[in-house]
Amino acid sequence: MFRRRRSADDFAEEIKSHFELEADELQSEGLSEEEARRRARVEFGNAQTAQERFYLRSRIVWFDNLLHDIKFASRQLIRNPSFASIAIVTLALGIAANSTIFSWINSTLLDPIPGIAHTSDMITIMRGERSEHPTPPFSYLDFADLRDSTRSFTGLLAYHDDYMAITESGKPERIYGTLASSNYFEVLGVRPILGRSLESTAPNERRGTAEAVLGYGLWQNHFGADPSIIGKIVHINLRPYTIVGVAPEGFQGCKSGLRSDLWIPLGMDSQVWGSDRIKYRDVLWLNVLGKLKPGVDHHQAENELNILMQRLAERFPDAHKGPNTISSDPLWRSPFGANVYLYGTLPILFALALVLLLLACANLANLLLVGSVARRREFAIRLSIGATRWRLVLQLMVENALIALAGGGLALLLTKWTAHGLSAFLPPTTLPLTLNGRVDRTVLVATIMISLLTAAVSGVLPALRASRLALAPVSALKDEALNTSGGIHKSRLAGGLVVGQIALSMLLLVCAGLLVSSQQKAQDSYPGFDPSHMFLASFDLKPMGYSRAQGIEFDKQMLVRLKSLPGVQSVTLGDFSPLSYTIHTDFIQPEGYVPGKNESMEVDRGVAGPEYLRTVRTALLAGRDFTDRDNASALPVSIVNKALADRYWQGQDPIGKRLQVAGHWTTVVGVAANGKYRRLVYDTAPLVLIPMLQSYRTDQIVYVRVAGDPMAYASAVERTVHGLNSDLPLFNETTLAANMRMGNAFERIAAAFAGSFGLLALILAAIGVYGVVAYATKQRTHEIGIRMALGAGKRDIFRQVLGRGLHFAGLGLVLGLIISFALTRYLRGMLYGVGTADWLTFVMVAILLCVATLIACFVPARRAASIDPMQALRTE
Amino acid sequence: MPSLGRMPPQDNPDDRIALLQGTLDLLILKTLVLGSCHGQGIARSIQRQSEEVFFVDHGSLYLALQRLEDKKWISAKWGVSENNRKARFYSLTAKGRQQLVEKTSEWQRLTRAMGLILDGRPSSEEV
Repeated sequence: MFRRRRSADDFAEEIKSHFELEADELQSEGLSEEEARRRARVEFGNAQTAQERFYLRSRIVWFDNLLHDIKFASRQLIRNPSFASIAIVTLALGIAANSTIFSWINSTLLDPIPGIAHTSDMITIMRGERSEHPTPPFSYLDFADLRDSTRSFTGLLAYHDDYMAITESGKPERIYGTLASSNYFEVLGVRPILGRSLESTAPNERRGTAEAVLGYGLWQNHFGADPSIIGKIVHINLRPYTIVGVAPEGFQGCKSGLRSDLWIPLGMDSQVWGSDRIKYRDVLWLNVLGKLKPGVDHHQAENELNILMQRLAERFPDAHKGPNTISSDPLWRSPFGANVYLYGTLPILFALALVLLLLACANLANLLLVGSVARRREFAIRLSIGATRWRLVLQLMVENALIALAGGGLALLLTKWTAHGLSAFLPPTTLPLTLNGRVDRTVLVATIMISLLTAAVSGVLPALRASRLALAPVSALKDEALNTSGGIHKSRLAGGLVVGQIALSMLLLVCAGLLVSSQQKAQDSYPGFDPSHMFLASFDLKPMGYSRAQGIEFDKQMLVRLKSLPGVQSVTLGDFSPLSYTIHTDFIQPEGYVPGKNESMEVDRGVAGPEYLRTVRTALLAGRDFTDRDNASALPVSIVNKALADRYWQGQDPIGKRLQVAGHWTTVVGVAANGKYRRLVYDTAPLVLIPMLQSYRTDQIVYVRVAGDPMAYASAVERTVHGLNSDLPLFNETTLAANMRMGNAFERIAAAFAGSFGLLALILAAIGVYGVVAYATKQRTHEIGIRMALGAGKRDIFRQVLGRGLHFAGLGLVLGLIISFALTRYLRGMLYGVGTADWLTFVMVAILLCVATLIACFVPARRAASIDPMQALRTE
Repeated sequence: MPSLGRMPPQDNPDDRIALLQGTLDLLILKTLVLGSCHGQGIARSIQRQSEEVFFVDHGSLYLALQRLEDKKWISAKWGVSENNRKARFYSLTAKGRQQLVEKTSEWQRLTRAMGLILDGRPSSEEV
């Protein structure tokens, strides 16, 4: 039951009734009416105090005070709009930098597999060395054995994903699909919103059941959100599947940042891709994820899996020649998916954003200091009429919180827009990327927390200082006192703040400089091929029902026809394009090379058409390029790059050597110059190329080298291809130059953000220096007047003010240099071609900051120099 | 200092004793055992029963009444006094009755202990 609090009026009423009762009683004891009334009041003591105490105890006093403080603070800010807007915008920029990066972290690292209930007890399992581009590490048979014998997990799931096509209607629609073990949805704890999962396919996991679970997006877009979809048929790569379920919205598979459109049982591998790898113990194609049992940590699980794996290796030694050690990772830094590229970058960007926010805080603190000196009289009055110092500090903190929350609100608006900025750095690509930030409740809460923290950091010092300045109310109330002692106190703290600001902006600028010049170096580095004037388009013959022989014939004809187009210089094919995360890997065995125990023999492998090297303009160092005679009936051949030849055949002639690629022996006919195939910042890695006409792939990219603008050839290429098959869709039509932007997308993100943080830092530092020097100069008007009256020239004054600014800059730079030297080594992993102590960057940044400081001091110095001594002396 | 008694503004102050913290509550509860009463009546009653030794600061009394009411040891409602004045009447609740028993025995243990220390014999036996 809720009882209303008793009102103060009711209490007063009771006291009034007391007076009457007491007076009555006194009167009955013989006093006169007047005397009785007087005595009743006197006997009571102080009724006013009692009522006040009642009021205080029956009310949440601090809440009253807070409301009052907020009202007062709002008025204060409205009365001083220029101060308020500068402060709010400064903080908004600092907070927005943080909330933007946080929104990205939130939807990538903190939410590695969207749509599953708990990620903390899920781990991803890796075999062999950790790599940024691992291949799936397990065979089906090993996975099945591990799953059946492990005791550390409530479940182990396996999956494999790749492109497929929905083929029932006219043109095939390309999708990214997942082959999933029967327990896939149960281990993840994902419940289909319609129908059921694949669990019932368990007894037939190896042979496969033609059932499919649709992704929410596919169901919405391709099937019009048909509520009676269950039981209907979908054709995938020309074969029918019964739709048994629809996955919930938001769930998109097990790889961070990559979207899967549908799920079918593992055993359907043979039907979808015509592969029989599920039968073999030495064919590695599955990614494995596990849900830990309660109370088991991932080290214990890792140990158990290693023991089990060791037993498998002993039982089947021929199928376990490669590395067999197992390691596990929490999902946020799973090597599978996009997080592997983000978990190194985003936290560093977040740290830089925090430094920027700290700078913004310092600026606000300076503004508040200036403001608090001006408001000293107000504080003194409040103190002298009974406010406690604590109340004064609280009042100022409420003002700061108001500013910070306003800044936070503005920052959230900005973030709504910048959160989507992550995808702006990713070029159009065939990858089903879903990397992006979004503003959700976590981001909202984090932004508010950051804002309040900002208020505390920037406000505490000025508030304490202000309340202390006003502690001697009597002297503060006297006008003259305002300009002397207060100014001196303030400028020492403010000077410290400015030095700190310059040091922090030096740190940010150095980081920005290093990242930008690293990105520039990577951009300018020769990738090992010529990306200009190259048109690319992808297609997939599998869903069109081509047999291998038909597909090869199609390729041959297409190459001939495209080559005859006017302006086309050469044409080739590949199952990959460089620097777009499309190259695959395979296990190799070079002739005469004995691998060390558990040495990984996995290298980059590309399937390439005739004249590949000539078309992409990669130098041929020895031997020959592929030709159209390297076909199924000819000797199996391969081309290796120099890195591969150097690693495995040091000092020997690679031409004519035999090289086993994925179990098939080839003869090396050419050595290509090294190139970059994954990321620009990687060292060159061994690569083997095998000919398309011998190792046929249905999923291909056609490379067309042209004269002039590549995109101008798009329609001609399309017409030619459609001349051969009018239904074959060409997708991702692009240029090689645009396509390879994927290969340094993460470096561009880091450089762009660090760069803009650096620029903001420079501006904030300049404003900070300007504010402090201008204020100090204004305070010293009187002194400058005296000096001029005593014979100091305008130039002396000018030089002195500039000198003051440079003094700050010098101290700040020294401090900044020390901090930068100490901290830039954390950037090492992100830098390419630049050392972490790159002196050129340091010098440039120091000069930049000096120039900025000088410019910031120039205006106040000129103003000081133009002071009229007579006027200055009279103002006081 | 909420329930500390205040010195009377007049009348030989030395004869009266300021109330100890917490004792006012006990006295109020004890007074209300006899039946419901208004604030002024309670004040008078305490003063009279203590043979005018205690002086009750009225402000503190009303605040104490409010406090006891908040704790649900006593309940209050407006009524009319014998001489037809509007007054707020307080009465003991079951919880208050129980508290009175506990506080009384607590108090007796305290005074007994004080007596032992001050006089070398328990003083409460006389009471």
